[in-house]
Amino acid sequence: MLDYVGLEGDLDEEERLIRDTARRFVEEEVRDDIGQHWIDGTFPTDLVSEMGDLGFYAPNLEGYGSPNVSETAYGLLMQELEACDSGLRSMASVQGALVMYPIHAFGSEEQKERWLPDLGAGDAVGCFGLTEPEHGSNPSAMETRAEKDGDEYVLNGSKTWITNSPIADVAVVWAKDRSTDGDPVRGFLVETDRDGVTTNEIDEKLSLRASVTGEVSLQDARVPEDAVLPGVEGMKGPLSCLTQARYGIAWGAVGAARDCFETARQYATDREQFGGPIGRFQLQQQKLAEMATQITTAQLLAYRLAELKERGDLRPQHVSMAKRNNVRMAREQAPVAREMLGGNGIVADHSPMRHMANLETVYTYEGTHDIHTLILGEDLTGIAAFE
Amino acid sequence: MKVLVTVKEVAAVEDDFEIDGLSIDDRYLEYDLNEWDDYAVEAAVQIAEAADEDVEVVAATIGPERSEETIRMALAKGADRAVRVWDDAIADQTLLDVNAKASVFEQVVAEEEPDLVLTGVQAADDALGATGVALANRVGYQWAAVVNDLDYAAGDDVATVRRELEGGVEEITEVDLPAVLSIQTGINEPRYASLRGIRQAQQKEIAPHDLSDLGLDAETVDGALELTDMYEPESESDATIFEGGAEETATELANVLRDKGVVGE
Ligand SMILES: Cc1cc2nc3c(=O)[nH]c(=O)nc-3n(C[C@H](O)[C@H](O)[C@H](O)COP(=O)(O)OP(=O)(O)OC[C@H]3O[C@@H](n4cnc5c(N)ncnc54)[C@H](O)[C@@H]3O)c2cc1C
Repeated sequence: MLDYVGLEGDLDEEERLIRDTARRFVEEEVRDDIGQHWIDGTFPTDLVSEMGDLGFYAPNLEGYGSPNVSETAYGLLMQELEACDSGLRSMASVQGALVMYPIHAFGSEEQKERWLPDLGAGDAVGCFGLTEPEHGSNPSAMETRAEKDGDEYVLNGSKTWITNSPIADVAVVWAKDRSTDGDPVRGFLVETDRDGVTTNEIDEKLSLRASVTGEVSLQDARVPEDAVLPGVEGMKGPLSCLTQARYGIAWGAVGAARDCFETARQYATDREQFGGPIGRFQLQQQKLAEMATQITTAQLLAYRLAELKERGDLRPQHVSMAKRNNVRMAREQAPVAREMLGGNGIVADHSPMRHMANLETVYTYEGTHDIHTLILGEDLTGIAAFE
Repeated sequence: MKVLVTVKEVAAVEDDFEIDGLSIDDRYLEYDLNEWDDYAVEAAVQIAEAADEDVEVVAATIGPERSEETIRMALAKGADRAVRVWDDAIADQTLLDVNAKASVFEQVVAEEEPDLVLTGVQAADDALGATGVALANRVGYQWAAVVNDLDYAAGDDVATVRRELEGGVEEITEVDLPAVLSIQTGINEPRYASLRGIRQAQQKEIAPHDLSDLGLDAETVDGALELTDMYEPESESDATIFEGGAEETATELANVLRDKGVVGE
């Protein structure tokens, strides 16, 4: 397994065991079936609670049943999940970083006790509703609104592209609170079986097919007033969740690219043309050399991010740089692996083309590549160029 | 009650490797918990989890410091603590034979006084397959080898076991405790260590012992067997393994048979 400059050699024992467990779980329980799920457009739902039993959701949080592992261990977990499929990593990212994290960071004691253990165990599934049909890259212009009515909030609006919404028990919905001055954005914990809540699935995706995506439509959906996350107001609520998830993506992209690389390397040594393995041609070696180099430099960035996060010096802009760089890297290298497999590269038996298609989503969600460019641009010049 | 599980770190060899003297060069080895032992650990942990009384699961290994990581995996899966025996005299052996291992474990059993000892049927590397039974003989416990089904609840005096014999024959038998059972793969479905288990395992004890701690001397592990050579046997013919479904593999086989002239066009 590619780890060219031996970064994994410096892991501590606990981190190595976590990496090995995730790697083995994916290898033995998921890999054989993931291609078929991808073709069928289904998520292997059995895995929801299996991954919960193993502690794969938000293991870097403290308390409420979370094991509180290191940020490196968490990153390695995301890397190994995404080495299998970006949809698998997305499941863990959404459940952990986008649903459990905001409840943990901004929730009331009752909300934490109600949801964190169940979500952590995979007994409940959560989703994160920020994006709207008319507001993607600019979520602060969201139209979804909450109006206080007695001891309830009434929610109206629609969210789309929401990972797991059709299978979710609870949605973290970000909406403008019309009953507070300035209409601040607030987070609401909305059970999906409430009246006025529907979660239609989005079909015929050509990317991230082994992940369920849907809408969250809210039509006069009433939730009790204690459904609001008390600890945060404004866009920093959803944005802080995204920083957590993007951190995992920066690691995950390395996993996806590594899987492409390993598949291509294996193929290059096995496949014979013109009287020998294709890996003896300089053209193929150049591709492998470049892929390995790109993966290794992305991996270095991920490890540095973990250090910064662990000691509390990580800024969201650091994460933007790593998400931007590492996903682009994976998105550029996956087709190289694909082409090295010739005709075999286009069937679901081999992972590179599946990764390649998945990475289109990863490049777009959690802040598009362009948006992260603008975030870095603003950080570097002090001039915002979003509008 | 107490269950002792013997576990071993074994090396798996990569497809391409180089032999360096009497061993395979370390670069080509990957260390892991012996597969059979994984089942034995699971069997022990299941007994503990199902019990009303306190059941302590102790893992015992003979292995160098490096093996602690592998043993830690057994702790992460639910064993309570571990004992690791190592000594320069053990490191000096070219091959630690069954007698030597049984002598070491005999002392561990004397110290721990377990009610039940579970071992793997064999170790994936040296595949001697005799340590469990030899140990039973030494400590005067009852035994059953190659157990692929176990009906035992903590506190019972008798374990009902199903043993896998040669030629597809199975035997169901009862074994009085204290007993040593050698556990066959497939007896259960070994769990994955959870991240919580892995964390907790960091706090669990792996007590190191050398031979003198166990009241043994260097001669104890001087076995009758010695490794004299290691080489790759010359393969007399090439085997091709067809992978895939029956239809696919049958077609490939048919092609080969046709090519070799075994069957006509
Ligand atoms: C499979 C999948 C799962 C998803 N899961 C979730 C989820 O769980 N929860 C959730 O809330 N969202 C989710 N999303 C939504 C995702 O975050 C959005 O698609 C993303 O933020 C982009 O928004 P958009 O699609 O509306 O594109 P737009 O914002 O309309 O962007 C279109 C194009 O314009 C570019 N662009 C936009 N603004 C600028 C600018 N200022 N300067 C230069 N270029 C610009 C973009 O980079 C992009 O190329 C998911 C998306 C997908 C595809």
